[in-house]
Amino acid sequence: MIERSGLATILDHPSGAAGLAVVLLFIAIAIFAPFIAPYGPFEVVYNADQSVVRLAPPDGRTWFGTTNQGMDVFSQMVWGARVALLVGLLSAIGSVVLGTIIGLVSGYFGGWIDEILMRATDIAFGIPFLPFAMVVIAIARPSLVLVILLVVFFLWRTTARVVRAQVLSLKARPFVWAARAAGAGPARIIVHQILPNVLPLAFLYMAIGVQTGVMLEAALSFLGFGDPNVQSWGIMLNAAFRAGAMRSAWWWVLPPGLALSFFVIAVFMITRAYEERLNPQLRMI
Amino acid sequence: MTGFARYFVRRLALMVFVVWAILTIIFVLFQLLPGDPTAIFIDANFSVEMIERQRELWGLNDPIGVQYLRYLKNMALFDFGDSFFQNEPVAAILFERTINTALMVVPALIISVVLGTIIGAVAGWRRGSRFEKVTVTTALLLHSAPSFFVGIIALMVFSYELGWLPAGGMVSLGGPEGFWETISSADYWQHLLLPCLVLVSREITGPILLLRGSMLDVKGSDFIDILRAKGLPERSIVAHAARNALLPLVTYIAVMTGLLFQGQVLLEIIFAWPGLGREMVTALGDLDYPVAQAALYLMALVILAMNFIADLTYGVIDPRVTYD
Repeated sequence: MIERSGLATILDHPSGAAGLAVVLLFIAIAIFAPFIAPYGPFEVVYNADQSVVRLAPPDGRTWFGTTNQGMDVFSQMVWGARVALLVGLLSAIGSVVLGTIIGLVSGYFGGWIDEILMRATDIAFGIPFLPFAMVVIAIARPSLVLVILLVVFFLWRTTARVVRAQVLSLKARPFVWAARAAGAGPARIIVHQILPNVLPLAFLYMAIGVQTGVMLEAALSFLGFGDPNVQSWGIMLNAAFRAGAMRSAWWWVLPPGLALSFFVIAVFMITRAYEERLNPQLRMI
Repeated sequence: MTGFARYFVRRLALMVFVVWAILTIIFVLFQLLPGDPTAIFIDANFSVEMIERQRELWGLNDPIGVQYLRYLKNMALFDFGDSFFQNEPVAAILFERTINTALMVVPALIISVVLGTIIGAVAGWRRGSRFEKVTVTTALLLHSAPSFFVGIIALMVFSYELGWLPAGGMVSLGGPEGFWETISSADYWQHLLLPCLVLVSREITGPILLLRGSMLDVKGSDFIDILRAKGLPERSIVAHAARNALLPLVTYIAVMTGLLFQGQVLLEIIFAWPGLGREMVTALGDLDYPVAQAALYLMALVILAMNFIADLTYGVIDPRVTYD
């Protein structure tokens, strides 16, 4: 019900529909990456005489040219869509599930449970994400799982606060009293009465989480703290930056950067369209 | 005690608690680092006795509880010890880097707030106009685009392709030194222009969207109708409305300042700006732990202090907020 009407609003909204189309395109690219990418993410392209095709500008064979190690930029960009979607989805789901549970429990039970959970949220709000994530990765060893966990750790706090505020207002409404008077226990009230009313907000924060998650992975990877075993847009930008491609090989810099920008902006447009439904004040006219 | 004084004390206690918690997290993190700090001397010509003496000097042989308490005391007093690599106290290094970050962030902040306020107020006042639509759409695009890629593009176009501006750094090699000499030199402003504009392109979106929104709220309120009924010129009514719409901005500026100081790692790397964020990346690469640890602490501290100020100003500037 919620999803269907949500989808309809997004489609009614021109920029929301455009954003959705772009995201669907990226999903298709990610799913069919093995069929679209002519080369593997780390595969080196050779000339007929077995020499490596280094820093070749775009041509018929390598559409977006090659890197300084002779890897195909177009293929790397296609494979990068997989990493972006994986990181975006997992970190969004993880942070929203965690944040919603904390918000529900904190808001519904109140008292010392609320006190503890909200002080934990305050602590999370004081932590500067990029520097903190860099330290943790320097200690542990870069990996995609760690990056996702860090993003979850960074994102849950906003969802938790917003959901808690919503629960506090819902808790005082007559239908919750009625359920309690009818003998429903806390678990039943939370799941049946409160959760359905919190879900639209949770979906909104999930969409925001996809956008932030992809952006943070790209930022961390660009700084050299990404997983060296995968080919993401941020890792590509890091390699291009270190090789000085900004000066000499624009074809290596633009594809990952533009893919990242298009994806992030597209998700944002969907989020915005959905948010305008939840909060009509944001509407332009 | 008045309501505000009680709130002040409670809010201050909360900040102290969060600072302590974050310091503890940082302490645990750095305890987990592979090896101890003397590990970096292994490949150098250090003998076992010298390493032992160094351990003694840094107090690494003390029980963990003693180390923790000493750490808390040192952090509270901003006594960060010496850098492993640069022969200087950490506090002196970080002080200089923080000033450098401020030299990029503060001009961007001022431009963003002043310009963003004006643009946002006009957009909100002319609701439904073409100007409003273009402004809001542009602001939303800039707000959601990855600003570090915007920085890379700016550098590629204006420094490498067109050669109009220097390609990074805060001043040229052998350029001005010291605070006053730096900020009064044309060299610094040339280096500042590009990173500053990139930063503005993102940060200006906040004030624009905020002012537009609060202007819409104010526009619908009764006192505007009264002013209009009094026959005041439109220009004067806008000024009255803008003053009231500015309230939420004050809080926003405090939060924004806190975020700006920690969020500039990316732009400082791209533009080779010798600030706090870049120092932190370098320190982690060099295993220069005292520097990394203190930098993380300082960034958290700025965020917390600014959030504290934001929460307090909220009540001071808006008499409708009560604390009872």
